[in-house]
Amino acid sequence: MQTMMTLLPIVLMVLYSLAMIPGLIWMERRIASMVQNRLGPNRCNIKGFRLGGVVQSAADVMKLIFKEEFYPAHVKNRTLYIIAPSIVFIAAFLMFAVIPFADVITLDHIYGMQALPIDLGILWYVALAGLGLYGIILAGWASHSKYGILSAMRASAQMLSYEISMGLAIVAMVITYDSVAFNDAVHFQAQTIWGFLPAWGIVIQPVAALIFIVTAFAETNRAPFDVAEGESELVAGYHTEYSAMKFALFFMAEYVAMTASSAVIVTLFLGGYNLPYLATQEMLEHPVGILVGTMVALGVLYGLFIYWIRTNISRAIVEDLERARERKVLTVLFVSMLILSELFLLYWLVVGTTPTLMAWLVLALQLSIFTLKFFAVIIFFILVRWTFMRFRYDQIQHLGWYILLPLALLNLLITALVVVL
Amino acid sequence: MSTHIVPRHGKSFKERWYLSALWVGFRTTFGHFWRNILNTNAIDVLEYPEVMPNDITARYRGHHRLTHRDDGSIACVACFMCATNCPAQCITIEAQARIDGIDEKEPRRFEIDLLECIFCGYCVEACPCDAIRMDTNIFSMVGNARSDFIRTKEQLLATQGAYAPTHSQAKGAHT
Ligand code: SF4
Ligand code: SF4
Repeated sequence: MQTMMTLLPIVLMVLYSLAMIPGLIWMERRIASMVQNRLGPNRCNIKGFRLGGVVQSAADVMKLIFKEEFYPAHVKNRTLYIIAPSIVFIAAFLMFAVIPFADVITLDHIYGMQALPIDLGILWYVALAGLGLYGIILAGWASHSKYGILSAMRASAQMLSYEISMGLAIVAMVITYDSVAFNDAVHFQAQTIWGFLPAWGIVIQPVAALIFIVTAFAETNRAPFDVAEGESELVAGYHTEYSAMKFALFFMAEYVAMTASSAVIVTLFLGGYNLPYLATQEMLEHPVGILVGTMVALGVLYGLFIYWIRTNISRAIVEDLERARERKVLTVLFVSMLILSELFLLYWLVVGTTPTLMAWLVLALQLSIFTLKFFAVIIFFILVRWTFMRFRYDQIQHLGWYILLPLALLNLLITALVVVL
Repeated sequence: MSTHIVPRHGKSFKERWYLSALWVGFRTTFGHFWRNILNTNAIDVLEYPEVMPNDITARYRGHHRLTHRDDGSIACVACFMCATNCPAQCITIEAQARIDGIDEKEPRRFEIDLLECIFCGYCVEACPCDAIRMDTNIFSMVGNARSDFIRTKEQLLATQGAYAPTHSQAKGAHT
């Protein structure tokens, strides 16, 4: 039991970071195309199953794995050259280690739902977010290319300017929550202010939330702060001289950093794994309400999704047998999944629940809530990329030093005053 | 003389505030995203391999071809204008004397490397004899080896134009 419960959050961490990457690439492409009134990649299939194009990502992964490992002849220090992407990736990956995916679960012991059982919380995130930069600088330097080094310089200058504001925004949040641990932050956000408003970070600290989200974009090198990459000026960026899996590591690191930042945003500002008005304890105490609520929510969500599949999975212009078959199979699959889970819940509703069962159910619920919020933030990340124009380099520095930094300081001052008084 | 004063934007507080502009942009992209995801069938795209585009304009620069004279022989006089003008330097011509009395010179070898070609159309502009054209509307060129993309004289001559007339329209150059 103990081993399993220790491994579970680690498995979750791998799921949320590594296993999510192909899905994220798929989401990025499809959302981009939807924004631009296109369809995006939807042709790749396995025996006619396209799954809306997810298969394309699998094909891309295959391609990257089987690509030739190529080392440019001008790279002098091959060790550093290989270490650099690993640092970027490991730093991004480890950011996930302190994210609580759900509240602590009480079985025979109390088990936390974060991969590393430490209370460093947000400090760990800040430390590793800064560490990833070393990999980028190293990559630029080791690849012995002017584009690489220029990109690395840009990335480090940007990171430097934004890390300060990010740190100050985080300090304001730490003062508000009175703790650096994520679990405490989530518990704080389960309260309400004035009896009706959920005390989410974004509600009580909108300025800090804004600063943190902006700096998180800069931190992950995503648009509109993607000066480190630029086809027109830098060929590609710090990964110009990298190919195959070494490039893929950078690529994946970008997405993992994005997921980690989304997870932190969810945890710090959007109430984490809790729904408003529903703290863990209340969930555990109202089994009937939770069961019925879950059944209704499942029914509605699945129903909408199945309806969407039935109306949208085919294109009217080219309708072939394979697509009709896929639609049929998916419908049957999802309908049976829905019926099965509803039957399970109904069974427990009739027979009654035990505390252990409820603990697991609440865990599953909180995981789903976390996932939903997490995906909402990721969709926001992706939409921002297709909405906002890239900043010029001087605009980035201006925004960082003249606007965000004073704002963050002011916010910190006000927060401290309010908390102290 | 009247002066037209162009209004400068970006100075008012609302514009400098920036977040409201971002919000408007965000509303636009999300609006498109939401509308399209609710009904993907309404997105107006071409199902490309099954449905071919039918709106290629006459000015489209596609695959090259070499035109013929009215008697069916090659119109090119191997003057090297196109090869000289080609920014990608992908046209290889070898000239030979023409012995059938129709003209003085003709290419023995006329090859275009499509992998290097940037489809700028300068070769067409340069040709004094209307001997090379890009009016084929062929935009998809595939092959399994690099050598597949080197089009020879025979292939270029055999390629059909998408519009009539297909023969060289040069006046005065060939007489
Ligand atoms: S289209 Fe341009 S690049 Fe291509 S062969 Fe003609 S001149 Fe050369
Ligand atoms: S194609 Fe035209 S420009 Fe080129 S060599 Fe022949 S006649 Fe001259």
